[in-house]
Amino acid sequence: MLDKFANWMDERFAWRQAWEAIFLRKVPHVNWLYTLGSATLFVAVVQIVTGILLTLYYVPTPDHAYDSVVYITTQLPAGWLIRGLHHWGASAMIVLVVLHLLRVFFYGAYKYPREVTWITGVLLLLVVVGFGFTGYLLPWDQKAYWATTVGTRIAGVAPLVGDWILRIARGGPDLSAVTLARFFGTHVWILPASLVALISIHLYLVIRIGISAVPERNEES
Amino acid sequence: MKAAIFSIGGLIGAAIGLPAIAYVVGPALKQAAGVWIRLGAISKVELDNPTLFKTTLETQTGWISTQEEISAYVLTSNGQDFQVLSNVCTHLGCRVRWIADDSRFHCPCHNGVFAKDGTVVSGPPPRPLDRFENKVENGILYIKRG
Repeated sequence: MLDKFANWMDERFAWRQAWEAIFLRKVPHVNWLYTLGSATLFVAVVQIVTGILLTLYYVPTPDHAYDSVVYITTQLPAGWLIRGLHHWGASAMIVLVVLHLLRVFFYGAYKYPREVTWITGVLLLLVVVGFGFTGYLLPWDQKAYWATTVGTRIAGVAPLVGDWILRIARGGPDLSAVTLARFFGTHVWILPASLVALISIHLYLVIRIGISAVPERNEES
Repeated sequence: MKAAIFSIGGLIGAAIGLPAIAYVVGPALKQAAGVWIRLGAISKVELDNPTLFKTTLETQTGWISTQEEISAYVLTSNGQDFQVLSNVCTHLGCRVRWIADDSRFHCPCHNGVFAKDGTVVSGPPPRPLDRFENKVENGILYIKRG
């Protein structure tokens, strides 16, 4: 029965071909450092799932944000777990993308023909940092408020355009309800859309081109 | 190998999925404990005429404390035994009103009509108006909710 259904689907989707191309492709003999990208992808999926769950209760306004976060953490069953995973997963994302980047850099894996994979990877790093920066404000506690005050002020010291960037980031001269709302919108709409688009290109290229082998010392040639 | 991958994947999925279900349905299935609510003085109840009593109840919904309005019709034929009818229509939850000229409760949403004692006269309501358990202490009427 299940086999029949699988065949029926395969005739229409050719999913076996896709499965083979994605999971059964030939890879060179590599080491554990090559799992950093997959590890990052895994944590990203956890962040997406827990993030969606958090939006079921979180409210991004100054008079409700903190209380709703406390409600999630202390009143809801497994709320502490969902928020905890999202909180620690955020730090794990930063650590993993940087390690992944270092692996690719030191193995020279960014070279021809993988330049576009590298560029989308660097953009993904920026997106992940953006997630961290915008997500940090959302609990709207003292740490969040002052960290964002400082963070946006740092952007403000850029020559010429600094004040302009600061005002755009804050949605005005000071941190306010507008800041919280736009950080939330950026965190749950703009950045996830960018993330999904960039990961799609990144992974397509990984599968299309294949991964690089571990560089070897070759003194004969 | 394939079995190992799928079982580990399943395990991770369950580790997040099961708490996620509890997280989503948890507050929805919470039962409120029954509380006695002070409705008002029985001296205000008119004989043989449903009298509307309004009171507010402090309730905690999520992270917000709100004043919930509770209305009920109190009916008595002898000034000693009371029936307290909920004003929530048993059809789809609109609020019914006592129309004195007609001596019936009317629901504005789908023309449900109830008699003085709450039984259905006409329209879509599937059952009579709900009744609150009540008690009288020192001339004050209380209803139980929960």
